Amino acid sequence: MIRGVYVLGEQGNMIYSKEYAKSDSKASMVEFLVNLAHFLKTVDLEEKTEYMNAAIARIFYAQRSTFTFMFVADKADDANQIEDKMSELVESFMRDYANLAQANQALEGFDDKVDEIAVTLVKVAILGFAGVGKTTTLHLLRGETIPLVHDPTIGVSIKKLPDEISNANIVLWDLAGQSRFSILWAKMIANAQVVIIVTDSTLENVLRSKKLVTLVKDEVPDAKVIGIANKQDLPTALTPERVGQILGLPTYELVAIDISYRDRLIQIIRRAILEGKAEAKMP
Amino acid sequence: MGRHMPESTFIVQLDDFHGFVVKQRYPSSLTLNEKVLNLIYYEHQKEKKEEINYCEIEDMRIASYRSALYPGWMVCSVLKQDEDFEILRSNLTGSGRLILALITVDQESFSLEEILEKGSVLKDLSEEQNLAEVFITPSSALLLERMQAEGIEKAAKLSIWLRTQVQNDEIDLREAMAPLMNSGIVKVELVGKTSEMVFLVKDIFGYREPPVDSILKTREAIPSIAEKYEEFLAAFFSPPPPNKGYNPTLRVDDPNSPILEDREKISRILAEKLQYRVLISLREQPLTVADISENTALPESVVRKLLFALEADKVVIRFEEEDLWGLLTNPRIESFLPEYVLPILSKKLSEKEISSDAAQRHLELLMQTWGEAK
Ligand SMILES: Nc1nc2c(ncn2[C@@H]2O[C@H](COP(=O)(O)OP(=O)(O)OP(=O)(O)O)[C@@H](O)[C@H]2O)c(=O)[nH]1
Ligand SMILES: [Mg+2]
Repeated sequence: MIRGVYVLGEQGNMIYSKEYAKSDSKASMVEFLVNLAHFLKTVDLEEKTEYMNAAIARIFYAQRSTFTFMFVADKADDANQIEDKMSELVESFMRDYANLAQANQALEGFDDKVDEIAVTLVKVAILGFAGVGKTTTLHLLRGETIPLVHDPTIGVSIKKLPDEISNANIVLWDLAGQSRFSILWAKMIANAQVVIIVTDSTLENVLRSKKLVTLVKDEVPDAKVIGIANKQDLPTALTPERVGQILGLPTYELVAIDISYRDRLIQIIRRAILEGKAEAKMP
Repeated sequence: MGRHMPESTFIVQLDDFHGFVVKQRYPSSLTLNEKVLNLIYYEHQKEKKEEINYCEIEDMRIASYRSALYPGWMVCSVLKQDEDFEILRSNLTGSGRLILALITVDQESFSLEEILEKGSVLKDLSEEQNLAEVFITPSSALLLERMQAEGIEKAAKLSIWLRTQVQNDEIDLREAMAPLMNSGIVKVELVGKTSEMVFLVKDIFGYREPPVDSILKTREAIPSIAEKYEEFLAAFFSPPPPNKGYNPTLRVDDPNSPILEDREKISRILAEKLQYRVLISLREQPLTVADISENTALPESVVRKLLFALEADKVVIRFEEEDLWGLLTNPRIESFLPEYVLPILSKKLSEKEISSDAAQRHLELLMQTWGEAK
């Protein structure tokens, strides 16, 4: 996946940067990129995109007029695909933003464009206590037969979502809700763009789940967080409005064992991903 | 030392996006499922402090190694039915350490099979590495500074001081002090019934020594480069005026003192396990990459990377024509008797800040540590 996008100006000054995955070595990475940009000024890339390996990452770079463009991607990524994306980005920038950048003006709309091009992988984490229906929700989304027994998840189960839901790849992290696994939650939601907190809509469970909201806001403050009021078919269920009030989150109703909820749920997730991106941009 | 080849070994990384990724496995036919990886990881998270952990999962007896230096990585070995984990523990820890250090330097050239066949391990830290840990662990460097000023201090008081310094109420004094205790710089003991005291018994000093052994050996064994070698050293340690050269005896508050800024770098080089291997193999004499690879059991590609890093830190130099590498400076950390605590002790005693038992005990500890002809 593309972990960072950088555009540097003539003096090696950063015109635009965006990181999709936090890394510990961020400061040194930026410094490295600036040095690299200076170095690149002395060689002629002839409009080609090249790359070099750096620890686990691979840095792709291209130059056009006075600008240097860089992607930090994974070594495992398909280099051709990333090079195509680089061409797309360079073209879009040179066509619509180069003049603005030269005049030191804001690059209105460039950020959206970058997301459109660079976001190839979205992590959605599903969090909630044991037996509330997280794994069932995952099966529903993937259009699989829905098991009716509770087979507790161990640790985390990671699955891709079908392409129809979004043009980005979505990986769902279905976390184990049993309390012994709570030591893993903070680690497992790291870098999630969307977190779905699932409750079984009983008062007791919803009250307990407030703790999860706090955990998520602490660990991934930039993520879009939504609530799910599951098991609406049961007589004890609180309304989604009530659940949402208690959690302090936009909350949606669900009966995860009922296939007719699938399309609605897909819409909700699609929107959450888009809103997540929009919110991440606000200063 | 007996070569031990576990039934199978695999390396896993928990990636924030892709989840558990098995990076390499031996033998390649080994199959693993998500649940097994999850449980190994979970067992490890539960046992917070251990580097190596043992668990039984789905009829498999698994030893797994992880290190705070490489978060998310694990090296796991499946043990045979008749193997005893406790007997293998130190070997598995050593090879786990080496494997993670290697794979994170250069994934492409890393071969798990090669490492397992050689049975290579990274030994426990040497004494100088233990000392170096102090300077690269910010909380212990901070505590050392405090102890240099206080000499002797109640553990409870030190703990409160540390909490306010780092603005964190959860920090555990013992954990923060571990590098200081492991290297024998401080001792913690109960004096009387209630008060636990921290005593400073050693102080340490990091510097670059001229590589004396290496230059002597070079004169004898590779005389063709001896002259050039001496010029390199002279340029670093005693360049013509007005340049000052490296002089570790300058006082620390002198702006020209190389010690403060360099101390951390020296510590890092000593503490970084692979660089350290290369360093100790070069302490004797200049060598080729192939020699170093042989001595350290590290692949040549890795040795080369490590040498470039050491060159940038002015630890090694290259003799281009001869294709040899030699030490330019020899990073050392040494300990010395902190005699400056004596006046502090008597002052604290006279002001009744400490009991005479505590002062007495401090003197005993200093004598035990430094008494025999050192
Ligand atoms: N009545 C009803 N039952 C549901 C609904 N959703 C899930 N269940 C049932 O709840 C039980 C637990 O579901 P899971 O999805 O396995 O629970 P989980 O949240 O993944 O649990 P852990 O993996 O242990 O954290 C199963 O028996 C499901 O059939 C729902 O909307 N209504
Ligand atoms: Mg589950």
